[in-house]
Amino acid sequence: MTAPVLDKTDYAVLNVVALKKMATPQVVAAASGVDAASAEAVLAGLGDQGLVVVAGGAALPTDEAEPALAVAAASHYAGVRADAALLALVDRFETVNAQFLTTMSSWQQIDVGGRKVANDHSDSEYDGKVIARLDKLITRLGPLIEALAGHDARFTLYSGRFAAAVDGIDGGRHELVSSPTTDSVHNIWFEFHEDLLRTLGRDRVE
Amino acid sequence: MSHASSPTREGVPAGREPFTRGFADADPADVDWLGGKGAGLARMTQQGLRVPPGYVIGTTACRSYLQANATPAGLPEEVFARLRVLERQTGKTFGGGPVPLLLSVRSGAPVSMPGMMDTILNLGLDRAAAVALAGATGDSRFVADLVARFHAMYSETVLGALDPADGIGSLVAAVDRTDDPGTVYDRIWAACEHALAEDTGDSVPADPREQLLGAIEAVFRSWNTRRARTYRDHHTIPHDLGTAVVVQSMVFGNLSADSGSGVVFTRNPVTGEPGLFGEYLAHSQGEDVVAGTRTPDPVAEALAPDVLRELRTTCAGLERAQGDVLDIEFTVERSALYFLQVRSAKRTPEAAVRIAADLTAEGEVPAATALRNVSPAQVRQVQRPGFDPGEVDGAREEGRLLTTGIGACPGQVGGILVLDSDRAVAEAGAGREVILARPVTSPADLHGMIAAQGIVTATGGSTSHAAVVARALGTSCVVGAAELRVDEAARTLTVGGRTMAEGDDVSLDGASGELFAGRFTTSTPAGATVALAALLGTAAAASGCEVLARVTLPSDVGAAREAGATGFVTAIDDVLAATGHLDGLVRSLLEDGGAAGLDRIADLVAQELAPVIEAAGDAEVGVRAIDLVADEARELLQQTAVTSRHPELSVPLGRPELIEAQLAGLSRALAGAGGRARVHLAVRHISDPAEAAALRALAGASDIGVGAYLTSPRAAFGAREIAAVSDLLWLEVRALQAAMFGIPARQLLTAEPLDGYLRRGLLSCDPRSTLDRSVRELLVTVAAARRPGYEVGMRLSGEVSQDAAAQLYGLGFRRFAVDAGETRPLVLALGKAALAG
Repeated sequence: MTAPVLDKTDYAVLNVVALKKMATPQVVAAASGVDAASAEAVLAGLGDQGLVVVAGGAALPTDEAEPALAVAAASHYAGVRADAALLALVDRFETVNAQFLTTMSSWQQIDVGGRKVANDHSDSEYDGKVIARLDKLITRLGPLIEALAGHDARFTLYSGRFAAAVDGIDGGRHELVSSPTTDSVHNIWFEFHEDLLRTLGRDRVE
Repeated sequence: MSHASSPTREGVPAGREPFTRGFADADPADVDWLGGKGAGLARMTQQGLRVPPGYVIGTTACRSYLQANATPAGLPEEVFARLRVLERQTGKTFGGGPVPLLLSVRSGAPVSMPGMMDTILNLGLDRAAAVALAGATGDSRFVADLVARFHAMYSETVLGALDPADGIGSLVAAVDRTDDPGTVYDRIWAACEHALAEDTGDSVPADPREQLLGAIEAVFRSWNTRRARTYRDHHTIPHDLGTAVVVQSMVFGNLSADSGSGVVFTRNPVTGEPGLFGEYLAHSQGEDVVAGTRTPDPVAEALAPDVLRELRTTCAGLERAQGDVLDIEFTVERSALYFLQVRSAKRTPEAAVRIAADLTAEGEVPAATALRNVSPAQVRQVQRPGFDPGEVDGAREEGRLLTTGIGACPGQVGGILVLDSDRAVAEAGAGREVILARPVTSPADLHGMIAAQGIVTATGGSTSHAAVVARALGTSCVVGAAELRVDEAARTLTVGGRTMAEGDDVSLDGASGELFAGRFTTSTPAGATVALAALLGTAAAASGCEVLARVTLPSDVGAAREAGATGFVTAIDDVLAATGHLDGLVRSLLEDGGAAGLDRIADLVAQELAPVIEAAGDAEVGVRAIDLVADEARELLQQTAVTSRHPELSVPLGRPELIEAQLAGLSRALAGAGGRARVHLAVRHISDPAEAAALRALAGASDIGVGAYLTSPRAAFGAREIAAVSDLLWLEVRALQAAMFGIPARQLLTAEPLDGYLRRGLLSCDPRSTLDRSVRELLVTVAAARRPGYEVGMRLSGEVSQDAAAQLYGLGFRRFAVDAGETRPLVLALGKAALAG
């Protein structure tokens, strides 16, 4: 197949659809940096190429989406993949990611004498410590996001989304920690991780 | 222990209020000045617990710092004077030997908030102190570790370094216990300084006094971090409150063989069993216990008898005083027992119930205090049905255990096996219980995960996407069942040579991680119910409330009675729907109101209600009449079709013959059931005394009492007049809330749209959990309808909120009806409300 490589805008939009597996133009706009009106047009174009299907106002990736993204990433991000300083930060990310996942679990479950019990969020001091740790871990992503943004500015959107989520959490919206249906820290982190792997052309371990 | 040896005025010029107060002479009630942590330590000290000595820098100093943007004049002098006091109290030396005085510095605002500075430990470790400490502990590697840890903490919290001490760990590990401590200190400190200079260009002061002032100032500064400001803005906490600073001496569990550190619970936090439960590690610092580098021993075996005796006595006293199970962190320094932290213990729901029941039975703690620490949510957890243990054992013997993965979210559930998320939604929509099995999950599976009873994945650990999402949803989940092979083309799941087809029955245990072929009978675990029954007995006796449980089938009655229901409520349309007569009922209603249709309804009522009434024995059975305009029955009863043909069925007494038919049916059902129960029929949506009087007249001399279910504000407003002509009265709280808000009642049972709406600040009261002011005022009017021997019942729906139950109890209501599963939570909530008085 010799389909043309996706341009940067197409890539940014399709990437979001593939990460979210189902996304409205508004959501695509917020996570891709493409404005809402253009997002709709780009989605339509991707639809014509058979890379997404739009159903009920939301776009879903087709089976062709992932291979197309992989090809485009290899071409757009050859520079990233050869950036030794950035790759060193990626190695560090593995540690931060492991800490993040453990922290996320400690938000949901408390260790009681060796048994995990659902966190009922009655201990604001405990919750406060977990949130502080998450905030710190997000800060640790900073240098990596910055390095990526040096190659493609769209990565700075992650910083903004993280900041908005943490602001919301501090404002008492605790569902923004791990709720699967909001732009929660867990969702943003998960998408960032997937995006990173695709950018680097690597496979997810877990 | 020396309480009074802490002169408050040392280093303070005459005429100025001191910036600092010692733990022993601060007033623990003055939280505004001491902050939460400082007040806690002052209280512990003054309770007679041996707490490592320390002091608090009050919020006034912080306020002064924030105004002037400089350390208040006189504070350093006072801090250094305090240092001398601490040296005297502890017999240790700051920046020297033979045993060095090390400090912890912490922030402590009156209200805890995010963004504030973390703890700095081990402050005071200059070269001389390091050498002395190595001498005292005989361990240069320990000292190297402390130096590195202190440097990292200080760099991070005071100087804002991001990833301090990269690579220092290997340097520390290379130190031998017997290396020369001076050389070790120099090497580690220089390496840390070098790494920090590369990172931020900063340097940690070598002088411990300068470190101390730097740490204190960092606490002041952290008051104004972005996160702290955001938090205060959102929670309307004044920005000028300021934080206190807690400075405390540190004790060492690794000085000698008769030193050590540990953590103890006053009772087992997993099972609730009485007796100290905890671990102790001799010759160690607290971090060793937490880090799990060495395996600790049970306190009862490892502690010296004297220390153990002191620990037991103190724990028992603290538990009695606080009326709760405590989690206590302690260090033994040369046989002296120091208490570092005492707090309410985290516990499993099972333990929460058992502990509250035991504390009450032991009689040392008032019931009100014992019950305070059990929530309706915990009761719901404990009564959650689990697999029959006998059947599970049998299944194991028969080889029905398919595989064991990692338990990610507890719960024992069964259903049909489904291999993709779209199908899971479809099957769940068709009313089937579904277990979703996936090789791995991604956000694309969310809708399926929401629809499923249980989730199992082949890959991933307890922090994988599936695990995190399942816990967020509260759905039972097993991850990392590595032997599973999901074949999406063949629609099969293969494990260990066994193949299950999509649609086969499977069961999973989200705690043990087991996946079984087939289903199990589920019931409330017997072990849990003993303590629960005792606890709820206390609660029920305290509140003296009647709690009727909603039942539909005769088999519901036993479980509801076991849960503590004093009576039952049911509804004719529900019973007929559950017994397969819905079509017949709708057909009868659609007919032209002739006698034949009505007779058929009377027959159905007599036939299907009799078993329920019989099961109820001599208890009360409240029956709701058929309601054609109920929000929740719109589709079930083909409301539009029926009411457009027979508009009179939209009003409560629009067709009196329908009421008569139900009364006649009930009367026969009661006779058929042996006539022991007290049965009444209540009609929904009555809002006028004239309706109620007409209903009373219809019933005549029937042995079935009649009354109303009030659902509208008008009805509530006229409750007293309606009560005067009704045998009984119920009020549907959710319906009334919905009517007052003008929101369809069904929207009060779901997360959206109200979650989003409340988030936008468009409603000041969440109608799902809190009684609105307008409703409370109406309920005061309704409460006036109560009279001796005549209680107005509150019909609650969905999950009972502790707050709403307490509010209703406070308004004087003593009669309630709930969904059967909410009986225990409500009994507890009412008991807590009564005891809290």
